[in-house]
Amino acid sequence: MEHEATHKRQLIFTPAIRIFHWLRALSILALVITGFYISWPFLVAPESSDVLVQGWIRFAHVVFGFVLTAITLVRFYLFFFSRNDIERRSFKDVMSVKSWITQLKSYVWMGHLNKAGIYGPLQFVTYVAISFVALLICITGLVLYANVYHEGLGGMLWDSSAWIMMQMGGLANVRIIHHYLTWAFIIFAVIHVYMAVWSGIRFKHNSVDSIVSGYDYHKDH
Amino acid sequence: MDNHAALYEQGKQRLEYLRQFAPRQKVSLQQKMEESGITRRDFMKWTGAVSAMLALPLPFSTLVAEAAEIADRVPLIWLHMAECTGCSESLIRTDTPNLDTLIFDHISLEYHETLMAAAGWQAEENLENALETYKGRYLLAVEGAVPTANNGAYLTVGCKGHTGLHTITAAAENAAAIISVGTCAAFGGVQAAAPNPTGAKGVQEVIDKPVINLGGCPPSEKNIVGTLMYFIMFGKLPALDIFNRPKWAYGARVHDNCERRGRFDAGEFVETFGDQGAKDGYCLYKVGCKGPYTYNNCPTERFNAHTSWPVLAGHGCMGCSEPNFWDDMADFEKPLGRQLFHGIDATADTIGAVVLGATAVGIGAHAVASLFAKPLED
Ligand code: SF4
Repeated sequence: MEHEATHKRQLIFTPAIRIFHWLRALSILALVITGFYISWPFLVAPESSDVLVQGWIRFAHVVFGFVLTAITLVRFYLFFFSRNDIERRSFKDVMSVKSWITQLKSYVWMGHLNKAGIYGPLQFVTYVAISFVALLICITGLVLYANVYHEGLGGMLWDSSAWIMMQMGGLANVRIIHHYLTWAFIIFAVIHVYMAVWSGIRFKHNSVDSIVSGYDYHKDH
Repeated sequence: MDNHAALYEQGKQRLEYLRQFAPRQKVSLQQKMEESGITRRDFMKWTGAVSAMLALPLPFSTLVAEAAEIADRVPLIWLHMAECTGCSESLIRTDTPNLDTLIFDHISLEYHETLMAAAGWQAEENLENALETYKGRYLLAVEGAVPTANNGAYLTVGCKGHTGLHTITAAAENAAAIISVGTCAAFGGVQAAAPNPTGAKGVQEVIDKPVINLGGCPPSEKNIVGTLMYFIMFGKLPALDIFNRPKWAYGARVHDNCERRGRFDAGEFVETFGDQGAKDGYCLYKVGCKGPYTYNNCPTERFNAHTSWPVLAGHGCMGCSEPNFWDDMADFEKPLGRQLFHGIDATADTIGAVVLGATAVGIGAHAVASLFAKPLED
């Protein structure tokens, strides 16, 4: 029995992009939760001071922080040097006023969303912005790290982190900037999830499962 | 060790050089100690402690002893700018004079507005004389910020009506070394807090010479005397951190050496002043301790002849030795994450939550409208 295929299948997200996406999502979730604890330790004190509650939570924060830092660096690299140019192609749309209008109109229920790459121009610019926020939160995080852990990596980063600390006007400022940036991720994540679900339903393209499987199933048009 | 050997040699030469000058005090340090009931043994213990504090090996204690004895060969000029004199008070107000205060007495203090007997024209003349006589040799200590707005007119002192800005520029010109004593002189301090109407600045911002910054409101007598001793011994600046503070005093955070640190790591926090946690000595982070952002040696050196320090007394550190502390470390009894934005009196978390709420409302509206929108034709 032969079936006529009704949909086309296209690989849009490489395995690397997918793995990093989910690792990043996981580390952001963990960092936000542990970060809020560090900012305002909300758990009740343990029965015994042998249980280092703050210590362990800080440890988790540091581990996930390094995961996020590594992914942020790799993703910057992949964006520019990946053999697959599906991300870079979007740059054409960013430069075109027409594409911007098409995308913004499609968000208010007028017309299709035609794009050269995988992202629309507004989406692309948002992702670039959040990538730079990630870079900044990683840098401030490393400066804070170097001020707590003085050996090894912390020691290696000491001089540069002292310089950055001075540019930011002291350690307290570094810490507070680090805190503010958290909110960019929280608000981004909410909008991001909604837009992913919504555009999957509306345009029957790039629905949420493609960041899991990597494939986009769509009718020809 | 080679480094230390070279440094020791340097110290010896420096003290040899200082010996050629006449002592400025009639009474020797030895006599002063006897009068105050301080034994030779106490003195030797003190020299050992100072060497250790300056991160020098024990053999240096003989240098410290020698340097203390001939401290009256080094002319010290101490200027007051816009300030409260708390730093001088920190040094001289002790009920029992200990060695730190004694050494300060013994140093040949050429000019100090709080301590001198002279006034008016005579005082002005003393300063001019001292600057001239000890040209290139005197150690300049400054206490207080320098107002710069309106040409420095907000600080006008003395019979000649000189501004602080004028005095400091003239005095810095021929100084062998300059020490900013306290946060005001180092970074502007409270006077430089927003909106800073007088344009108050730290000394390093108004002159173009290297300045040693002793942050702290006030710095402990140990940090002041230690810095003086270092200069007397070696005639040069100690190793400094990025804010030009001596590393031996400001090399570690308050939080790193705090006696409550174990409580912090364990997650045991004082919730309100006077609660059971406070009585049990829990960590003061949640009631605003800024020890984690503050470089100073208060937990190890303490104040008032090693009696106590803020965290031991039950209040969090307020970060007074850091630049801009009055603005950056506010509120002093809340952690930084709960800092209020000026003008709207809300924390970052409140603002974030409001923006998040607005986002949710926007998303909801968009989703509902989508239900009624015309579907896309394929
Ligand atoms: S009281 Fe302050 S300095 Fe001490 S451990 Fe707690 S937060 Fe750190």
